[in-house]
Amino acid sequence: MHNLISHLYFAGIDIGSTMSKAAVVDDEGKMLAYVVGPTGAEHRLYANKLMEDLLSKAGLTLADIAYIISTGYGRVNVPFADKQITELTCHAKGVAALFPEVKTAIDIGGQDAKVLKIKNGRLVDFLTNDKCAAGTGRFLEVTAETLGLELNEMGRLSLQTDSPVKINSLCTIFAQQEIISRLSEGELLPDILAGVYIAIATRVVKLARQLKVEMPVVFTGGVAKNAGMVKAMETVLGVPVLVPEEPLITGCLGAAILARDEAFKLVQRGEYEGHRDKKLTEARIDFGDKSK
Amino acid sequence: MSETATPAKTEKKRAINRLKSMYPLRNLVQQDYIDTLQASNEGKPTVWSMLNYWEGDLPLKAMGLNIVYPENYATLLAASGAAEPFLDASDSDGFPNHMCGYGRATIGYSYRMMKENGGKIPPEAPLGGMAKPALLLGSGIICDARFKWFQALARYFDAPEWCLEMPMMATFEGTEPDLEEYQVKFLTREIKDFIEFLEKLLKKKMDWARLEELIVLATQIHETNYQINEARKAIPGPMHSTDFWSSMPPSLFFAGDMKVSLKLYQDMLAEVQERVKNKESGINYPERYRIIFAELPPWHSLKFFDSLAEKGWNFVFESFGYHNTRPIDLSKVNDPCEKLARFARNFWFNIFPEAKKDNISNPVVETYLKIARGFKADGFFMHPLISCRAASCSLRTVQHFEQEKLDIPSLWVEGDIIDKRVFNPQEVLAKAEAFEQTMDHYRKVRKSKGLDW
Amino acid sequence: MVIATTKGLSRAHEIYTDRGLRVRELRKAGKKIVGYVCLYPPVEIISALGLVPFRVFGDMSEPITAADQVSITVVCPFLRSIIDLGLKGKFNFLDGIVGAHTCDIGMTLIISWRDYVKDAPFTHLIDVPHTDHAPAVDYFEGQINSFKRHIEEFAGEKLTDDKLKKACELHNKQRKLVRELYDLRKSDPPLLTSIENVEVLIAISSLPVDEGNELLEDVIREIKSRSIKPPRKKARLLVWGPVFDNTSLYQLIENADANVVIDDTCVGTRAFWADVKAPYNLHALAQRYLVDIKCPRTYRDSCHQELERNYDKDLDSRFNYIKKAITDWKVNGAILQSVKYCDTHGYEVPNLRHYLDTLGIPSIYIEHDYSERSLAPIKTRVEAFLETLD
Repeated sequence: MHNLISHLYFAGIDIGSTMSKAAVVDDEGKMLAYVVGPTGAEHRLYANKLMEDLLSKAGLTLADIAYIISTGYGRVNVPFADKQITELTCHAKGVAALFPEVKTAIDIGGQDAKVLKIKNGRLVDFLTNDKCAAGTGRFLEVTAETLGLELNEMGRLSLQTDSPVKINSLCTIFAQQEIISRLSEGELLPDILAGVYIAIATRVVKLARQLKVEMPVVFTGGVAKNAGMVKAMETVLGVPVLVPEEPLITGCLGAAILARDEAFKLVQRGEYEGHRDKKLTEARIDFGDKSK
Repeated sequence: MSETATPAKTEKKRAINRLKSMYPLRNLVQQDYIDTLQASNEGKPTVWSMLNYWEGDLPLKAMGLNIVYPENYATLLAASGAAEPFLDASDSDGFPNHMCGYGRATIGYSYRMMKENGGKIPPEAPLGGMAKPALLLGSGIICDARFKWFQALARYFDAPEWCLEMPMMATFEGTEPDLEEYQVKFLTREIKDFIEFLEKLLKKKMDWARLEELIVLATQIHETNYQINEARKAIPGPMHSTDFWSSMPPSLFFAGDMKVSLKLYQDMLAEVQERVKNKESGINYPERYRIIFAELPPWHSLKFFDSLAEKGWNFVFESFGYHNTRPIDLSKVNDPCEKLARFARNFWFNIFPEAKKDNISNPVVETYLKIARGFKADGFFMHPLISCRAASCSLRTVQHFEQEKLDIPSLWVEGDIIDKRVFNPQEVLAKAEAFEQTMDHYRKVRKSKGLDW
Repeated sequence: MVIATTKGLSRAHEIYTDRGLRVRELRKAGKKIVGYVCLYPPVEIISALGLVPFRVFGDMSEPITAADQVSITVVCPFLRSIIDLGLKGKFNFLDGIVGAHTCDIGMTLIISWRDYVKDAPFTHLIDVPHTDHAPAVDYFEGQINSFKRHIEEFAGEKLTDDKLKKACELHNKQRKLVRELYDLRKSDPPLLTSIENVEVLIAISSLPVDEGNELLEDVIREIKSRSIKPPRKKARLLVWGPVFDNTSLYQLIENADANVVIDDTCVGTRAFWADVKAPYNLHALAQRYLVDIKCPRTYRDSCHQELERNYDKDLDSRFNYIKKAITDWKVNGAILQSVKYCDTHGYEVPNLRHYLDTLGIPSIYIEHDYSERSLAPIKTRVEAFLETLD
């Protein structure tokens, strides 16, 4: 039986629709390093590269990693992962690791939004919006394009005001028309931008209310880095939200912690097979087809 | 896409020539709400009722009950722009958001009343809101939502519920020779059972004399309406659809005091007939196109019709489901329950013999063909709704048959009864331009085929 | 006479994949095939008159290209699929189609079929009352009688008491066999998968009743004598909702490490749980179909004539058959699935989930549009749901 107490580590890799992230934790669940990068089209190639970057940043080799869990939209495309767990469970785990008292977690990704109900650090219920761009990061991207602004600029500008304009359109595309009309009617840019953030928050909070929002609320996802978005969330929710320092990595952090839990469980049951001499390759030939 | 205020209103004339007699009827309904609320505050039991095509309305009134119609209240929510928080509340309690807008609004209202306001009327509810129900009267007529949503209200209220029935069929099956008799028998038994239940609930007997009186008044109100509809066939159309929608509750569910509303409808008939004599139109612009509206109006955006009226679009008739047919002679029927059964059934089934003759399998299609001929329509404004399947599902077929049998084209405009966010007025106005050319073309086609409009 | 070359589960799979397979043969041999939509047309009458009842389903893998000419888009995608297939001539092996007013769009479907589809020229629409009150049952009996008269004309023969009795007995036998099949999933692990179950049920719905019974007997024998048992999985699920006639959803769930051991859907238990009771007359049929079938389209009035409607009592009265299924099949989770735009099931969801909560059964509600691509996002949700059952 392998002694996992001293020198082994556990990794989680989250292949999202826009961004991919990976993290490595030690046997106490403490995070050593993380990496983030755009997913692109080639999930399998990218998963390999991301893992290489992570290992190099952490100063480790693949042999040091006892167990790997993949999560996210592209989780089936990580050939060297030992197990796949949904991003819903992983996010909940990651958020609870950073904020142990959390009861509600709201994540707004590039192309989806999730609301997680967490009890005693575990996921107990959830809702997702993956049908419509209106409550996701995509809405912001499209708007930024329409207005010729950078996403960060948008956030900063929106903070200049306290009177957001109400955006009525449910649809991302029609909303652009509405934004342009309001500008031509003389509405101020900061007010409109604040209105855009409120529109996104409103969509997502509507989803959240179906699960009954309980505090503390943690807000994650790339969009949570944007101060304008955070302010809008707090305004619409009516309660303060907690945002992790790096809001993109809760998924892969949770995956890494779950990898540790899983490995420990297997060890206790005497079922741990040991880390094979895993080589990162560009194809999945060595490890059999794990993508079932 | 928000409705901007019309500039220089004093210089611009009102697009729609509203009937003077419409206002008292509209006020009657609003007053009825206020009276109902007052009565419930004084402890009188309030019934929440679905539209039940008079099967239930008359027994409830005869028992002196205070009645509120959530479907109608939802249209007020929409018209006053106050629906959103209630729709959101329904979504937040786990009900799918593709459901009937009226249902979502009512469920949301119930949720906010019972779960957020401790049983009290939500403060922002317009017109004083709806009082907590002591009885829920559902109905299976027209659509599933109308009885399923009342069933779901058990989540919020302990009030007892009753579900009234009405058969719905296709032409062929609906004209079977023995059908009428066993349907009437069914409905009569149901109504009898319902009245027995009301007696048990209110601990008092039905006032049968009063019920008979109300049936007579109902017949008179409907006869008057029928005459108004006949008069509306004149050219130019003397009464715009918006006037009908504003004044229909006293005939659709006998809102208010029926003696009063009968008089008001008689006034309306007189006014319409006067307009016909003087060739006065329902719009203040020359009538260029006679349009039929199907089926349920965009309650949230009724002002939109002004823009079309300015183009000479006169909406001469609308929403067959909100009208009544010519009442039948019930004098040879003794049992008042049977009278009600026949009265209610007549609305749905009277068109069947004609539909059978014309070999039309969908009775709604036959109804609209009859309307199109009677009103010499130039075009149909089809308004399928994202949340109402029942009122929208036949529209394609109606469109086809109107085109095929009468060379009348249709403009297809999607929207919703409650949720104004899915209706795009600018887009409609853009389409309207093109549609005028279509209507012009088919006018020529009809003339060439010997039709006189 | 055509002899089937495959038997048991292979035969079931064969017919599941090509549902018109057997009825096309029968039609060539002179039989008349009468399609029916939904559970309310009484199949006993169809069988009793020597016709072959064939349950009509949509096709999840066929993109909808023709239906929009005759139907609006915001309606049940399953029914839209049926009219789409009808317009494309995919049901050209039917001589007739019978529907019932079980829901608004179900009714409209038959009316549209009459107007637009050339195939299956014999059509009939049975009106079904919404409640289960006594006058409603009598009315429904009248409707069944009207249907009987019409289809007698089509069949060219009269329905006798004897013919009806024999047909009821055969169909009851089928229901009994199906219940026996379901019993095989009471064990842990269940002896067959839900995928196999769906294939068998679709197959028997596409066969004449006696051939269906034979197939069931073969299948049950085959399963009982299998030496390889399916693996044990931690989750034992109940799937609820409207018609789901495709194995893909069950495949998805079972791949995610769960066994679906029982269902409350109209492909499954709703169709086969209740028998027609003696005397096998039209009233007995009306009773079985309107009152004994547990489908949300019927307003099962739990508090009829009562002066109060107690929420918990109402829920229990409406759903306690699910409680029984949960107990008997040792279910520990429920997946509620429905199609978008289904009002009948949509309004039930919050109340049903509340009821399941009181039983301590975790549940998830998923909505799809009856297309294969709508299943992909569901996969993650189902997996996450199962992860919460740990």
